[in-house]
Amino acid sequence: MSAGHAPLAAVERSARGVSIEAKGLAHRYGTRLALEPQTFELSGGIAAVTGPNGSGKSTLLRILAGLLRPSEGQVRMVVDGRERGAAQRRTVVGLATPELSFYEEMSAFENLEFAAEARGLEAPAAAAREALERIGLAGRAMDRMSALSSGMRQRVRLAFASLGAPPILLLDEPGSHLDDEGRATLERWIALVAPSTLVVLATNDEREWRLAGRRIQLRGRDLGHPA
Amino acid sequence: MRDDASSSAAAIWAILRKECRSEWRTRYGISAALLFSVTTLTSVSFAVGRLGDRGDILAALLWIVLLFASLAALSHSFVREVEGHTLTLLRMVASPTSIALGKLLFNLLFLGVLELVTVPLFLVLMGAPPPHWGAFLALLGLGSAALAASSTLVGALIAQTRSRGSLFAAVSLPLLLPVLAAAVAGTRAQWSDGSIAAPARMLAAYALAVLAMSLLLYDHLWEE
Repeated sequence: MSAGHAPLAAVERSARGVSIEAKGLAHRYGTRLALEPQTFELSGGIAAVTGPNGSGKSTLLRILAGLLRPSEGQVRMVVDGRERGAAQRRTVVGLATPELSFYEEMSAFENLEFAAEARGLEAPAAAAREALERIGLAGRAMDRMSALSSGMRQRVRLAFASLGAPPILLLDEPGSHLDDEGRATLERWIALVAPSTLVVLATNDEREWRLAGRRIQLRGRDLGHPA
Repeated sequence: MRDDASSSAAAIWAILRKECRSEWRTRYGISAALLFSVTTLTSVSFAVGRLGDRGDILAALLWIVLLFASLAALSHSFVREVEGHTLTLLRMVASPTSIALGKLLFNLLFLGVLELVTVPLFLVLMGAPPPHWGAFLALLGLGSAALAASSTLVGALIAQTRSRGSLFAAVSLPLLLPVLAAAVAGTRAQWSDGSIAAPARMLAAYALAVLAMSLLLYDHLWEE
């Protein structure tokens, strides 16, 4: 399924004023340093966060999504000229992360329709259908989550992130479990939305970080040691 | 996207529907709750026979059965999200307050369904005298509201703790003692033609106080 078959609201819109500014952003789990202090500014296009395992890529994305409060530093996220605090970020962020799970007793379509309805999208069923078509899963839309393979579950995560064409996409290891066709669909989708969306990829896969115009390299050399 | 108020209402409605759909598909809570109430009532009926006009014992038995039949299921609404790793999904689509209010409405509905089966069975098996329906239903409604508000709040607070199963009972039962005492006193009073005003006021005040406290707390839940 080509991304071009499912026109996105995002490409129809003009580029939105989107920026993320991080100053001295760091996080600790207890005494363990999980994310070294980071300072960066992103304002559109595709950015890749790379670094060794445990260097804090997922932690950084969770902080940006407003799911995790940083131990140090601050994030300033501006969309359409309005600053979004941590509690409001879910309305402007699409998140796909390996820890995102869905209701096993519901189908992929029902999960996405529920998510679209809870997010306050105007036509939840249409939004869910469009998201599944976009990511090439329309044919398995009514299958329960428990019947989907890991690659298909990953596609549902990506479809979830794309619901409502949010101005910011945070994709953690977006290509994991995907086959070649899935990766091609992912790349087409990212290329399609990138002109009007700030896309942040957390990945160590060269095929993915090469899509990015900007790279944030987490060193992680001081991580794993008590402070 | 809709404005904040209608967006919150949409989220609460979506969560309530999702809870109903999940429960209908898995029947995780309602089966256990109904099994508990039917088994308990049948056992007590065989053991002591019909209790006739013993309003004091009837009232206590009714509320003990309702409380313990519902407790496990009420606690599970948040625990299931944590154990199924779906809390991230919920947090990305709705505010903590909307999530909790959606679950509170579901818990109320759950109690309503449980009572719909348990109360007629109780009246028949125990040989209870016909209740004063207005007062009886008011007490059931207020008691259920207090029970649902309290157990939803405790469920939300302990969902991410390690020993959530034992914690829920340990925290909930002392908190629910005033609810149980007021509901039993009111139910007994309506069978003996007494006034239910004081217990009903107590249940309403308790439910409102817990709900108000919950609304203040819910937005700070799950802050990591």
